[in-house]
Amino acid sequence: MSARRPYIRSMDGWWRRDPFFIRYMIREATALLVVAYAAVLLLGAIRLAQGESAYERWLAALRSPWSLAFHLVLFAGLVYHTWSWFQIVPKTMPSISVGGKKLQPAVITGTGLVAAAFVSLVLLLLLLFIGS
Amino acid sequence: MNETHKVIAIEVLRYRPELDEKPFFQTYQVPFTEEMSVLQGLLYIKDELDGTLSFRWSCRMAICGSCGAMIDGVPMLGCHTFLRDYYPNKVRVEPLAHFPIERDLVVGADDFIGKLERIKPYIVPKEPRTLAEGEYLQTPAQLERILQFSSCINCMLCYAACPQYGLDPAFIGPGVLALLHRYNADSRDAARADRMQLVNAEEGVWSCTAVGYCSEVCPKGVDPANAVNQNKTASAADYFLHWLPKGSGK
Amino acid sequence: MDVFKADVAIVGAGGAGLRAAIAVAEADPSLTVALISKVYPMRSHTVAAEGGSAGVVQANDSLQHHFDDTVTGGDWLCEQDTVDYFVAHCAEEMVQLEHWGCPWSRKDDGHVDIRAFGGMKIERTWFAADKTGFHMLHTLFQTSIKYPSIKRFDEHFCCDLIVDDGRCHGVLAIEIGTGEFRLIQAKAVIIATGGAGRVFRQNTNGGIVTGDGMALAYRYGVPLRDMEFIQYHPTCLPGSGLLITEACRGEGGIMVNKDGHRYLQDYGLGPADPWPRKKAMELGPRDRLCQAFWHEEQNGRTIATAQGQAVHLDLRHLGKEKLHQRLPQICEMAEAFLGVDPVYAPIPVRPAVHYTMGGILVDTKTASPLPGLYAAGECSSIGIHGANRLGSNSLAELCVFGKVAGSEAARFARSIAAANSTTIERQADAARQRAMNVVSRSKGSERISVLRNEMALSMERGCGIYRTGRDMQDTCDKIDELKLRYRDVEVGDKSSVWNTEWLLAIELGYLLDVAQAIVYSALNRKESRGAHQRLDGFDQRDDANYLKHSLAHYVDAGPPRIDYGPVAITRSQPGTRAYGAAGEQAERDRKRAGAAHE
Repeated sequence: MSARRPYIRSMDGWWRRDPFFIRYMIREATALLVVAYAAVLLLGAIRLAQGESAYERWLAALRSPWSLAFHLVLFAGLVYHTWSWFQIVPKTMPSISVGGKKLQPAVITGTGLVAAAFVSLVLLLLLLFIGS
Repeated sequence: MNETHKVIAIEVLRYRPELDEKPFFQTYQVPFTEEMSVLQGLLYIKDELDGTLSFRWSCRMAICGSCGAMIDGVPMLGCHTFLRDYYPNKVRVEPLAHFPIERDLVVGADDFIGKLERIKPYIVPKEPRTLAEGEYLQTPAQLERILQFSSCINCMLCYAACPQYGLDPAFIGPGVLALLHRYNADSRDAARADRMQLVNAEEGVWSCTAVGYCSEVCPKGVDPANAVNQNKTASAADYFLHWLPKGSGK
Repeated sequence: MDVFKADVAIVGAGGAGLRAAIAVAEADPSLTVALISKVYPMRSHTVAAEGGSAGVVQANDSLQHHFDDTVTGGDWLCEQDTVDYFVAHCAEEMVQLEHWGCPWSRKDDGHVDIRAFGGMKIERTWFAADKTGFHMLHTLFQTSIKYPSIKRFDEHFCCDLIVDDGRCHGVLAIEIGTGEFRLIQAKAVIIATGGAGRVFRQNTNGGIVTGDGMALAYRYGVPLRDMEFIQYHPTCLPGSGLLITEACRGEGGIMVNKDGHRYLQDYGLGPADPWPRKKAMELGPRDRLCQAFWHEEQNGRTIATAQGQAVHLDLRHLGKEKLHQRLPQICEMAEAFLGVDPVYAPIPVRPAVHYTMGGILVDTKTASPLPGLYAAGECSSIGIHGANRLGSNSLAELCVFGKVAGSEAARFARSIAAANSTTIERQADAARQRAMNVVSRSKGSERISVLRNEMALSMERGCGIYRTGRDMQDTCDKIDELKLRYRDVEVGDKSSVWNTEWLLAIELGYLLDVAQAIVYSALNRKESRGAHQRLDGFDQRDDANYLKHSLAHYVDAGPPRIDYGPVAITRSQPGTRAYGAAGEQAERDRKRAGAAHE
């Protein structure tokens, strides 16, 4: 009979073992905040369909201090999610060559982040313009 | 060697299946010099302090893939990690995570090897050629597509970095999927369709949740996460193409 | 005891063992192959070969050139008929590897690229960046998975051969993971266990390169041939001995002493310019480069480093892009182990033991004198390396003669019936008892590491780049003494699962036997040839007395008996081994003489 007796270690609490895993879990968790924000917007669309007063009430609710605090949390979560998402993007695509040289992952991540920031800024300006 | 040796504490996870109920840490005081790797520290222990400590090693130059271990909790090659970088703190050495411990720092590799054997890790030629006809032509650009993924030394660090493999050992895992991708991407190969069945399967690429740590710890820049995630795209494409009417183009 | 019945058993799953296994499977899929290796195949030391593998492909090259480079490089101690077979089959094997997927570096037109190497007249070294051995090994291993008749016994330590009635019938192996014995019965056995560089202290070899197969064959009466010829590689990292490939020089790297002087021009390898130039300066053969280092060190012109004396290998002029593309692993190693970036600083290097030219005596078809026993690769002495191997001939050898060994063993296995199992099992029981004795001995007084270190130090002193009778005699005495002390070696670990201390003790036994064969062969060769250079009045080549192969025969409880065998010389008579300008002149003379002759 063999004297082998392989020992299997537990996976309990695995995500606390390495800062990399913690950051990964936060990335995954912040996806829920993306869902939450989508729900807020969806609710707005429903209120709009229900008529002007319903929509006004929804807008008023958004302006409450609780809602502002909630949105700050959502915003921080979304920024983190965007940042971490673009970190992983280079790992999801085939390698791209520019002028015979392989595009570095940092360039892909950087381009994504700049593009996201730019689009957000344009949207913000557009909204401010429409609002005025 | 007239310099006075510094002494570092190396804390090793021991497990001798015939003696120990479960693993425990044992600390050794090891004199070291600037250029000494963690592997050399272990060899010092084996030779001078405790002959019963077991671990795998061979080439000392990060190419044979034998000496992977968790060094201060991070999957690393012992020969490519240096004691000077931990001193004056102690350094903790444990067997690679997510694998069963056979003894001390030796983990069971059968599962990994079995997976490697399953993916048809060889060329199934597109157009068979005799030796007299010479080599297949392959441009540097075509070579570039496979070179990175063919650099895997099978050290299994990426498995120790993959929580999905730890949670579900059925997952084929990063290293072997990178190798699978290497053959699928080879201009000489024709077995892609066969291998895609494994890619698409439950234990294939969809078990990956893009943690990405596998690529982080890879000592050879293979970037297995990239291979896995490229194959998610390929797998999704396969899935949708599967709904298209068959034979319409023939 | 667990018994596995195979047709062909192969010990060692590096390049030669894997190539042999595939050859058996292709020759006859109905033959069962047992492929036994003490490590997983891709850990085998073939993995560490860097520079490349020879094969004539260029239009301006020829088999004759490859033959001449090899025979001259080997200082005429080569079996010329075998060299002929070898050079004729190298390119074919390289193409075979390409068909199996080996990622050879390519030219823009898609053809395989080649590079220059030391001692070679024309570029003929196929390469996969600077990880050629790694890619060849993984290609062979992964391809071997295709053949269902190859049954692997990974992490099985071969502890004995089964020899009965003048024939080899298989091997006894220890399954490392359980400590259990497994008898692998076979009609033919191929040894492909690689070299024995760990006999020495500073070496480029992995920890597994302990001469196991050489020692096993030797103990069963097969002579070890030309063991005194130990190749030092001129460019290794001081201290660790890690290899910095010859391809660095093939790509144009230069070597300078502490004054920044390209000292090789002072040792018959010059003139220094124009550079790069084949078969000159840094692209001279390995033995000459190491000898030049030795003289520089004696004359105080080397560079002191924390790890001992060194010279500088300067690659800076190649530029970052070329270095990263063609020599990526070297850049990575220099950075990791020395903190040196070769793009901006020279790499300190020195000679270290790299390769055993000699090995198990086999004929042109890889058969040893013991029926049923074959050998291929570094563990064998088929006779292509002579007194000094040329870089990039050994990877090619693995394939060319791995294949021959496979086909020959398959042919032999088909031609005979399996032997009587009862006698074989009795043999295996006795072998098992011998292996168990190493660990079950109650209290030993000698430590493995102490004996191993004393051996390595003494071998380095006695069988260095230059040798004297006195030093070699001292080493002979030392090894004799260590072999006696080895009987009392202690194995503290008494367990069965992964008892590596036990295996280390058995390996030490192998090392000591091989060391003894090396140093006694060296002491008895009273001349200087190739890698065997003497300072004590035998500093010239002596063809009259020593144009012959040394044969070391194992003697139980005593030093080996050394005798000699003939060298097969077909068409290249021994001449002057000249490189650099002298070599070019000799070449012109040869041509003129040839023209006059016609």
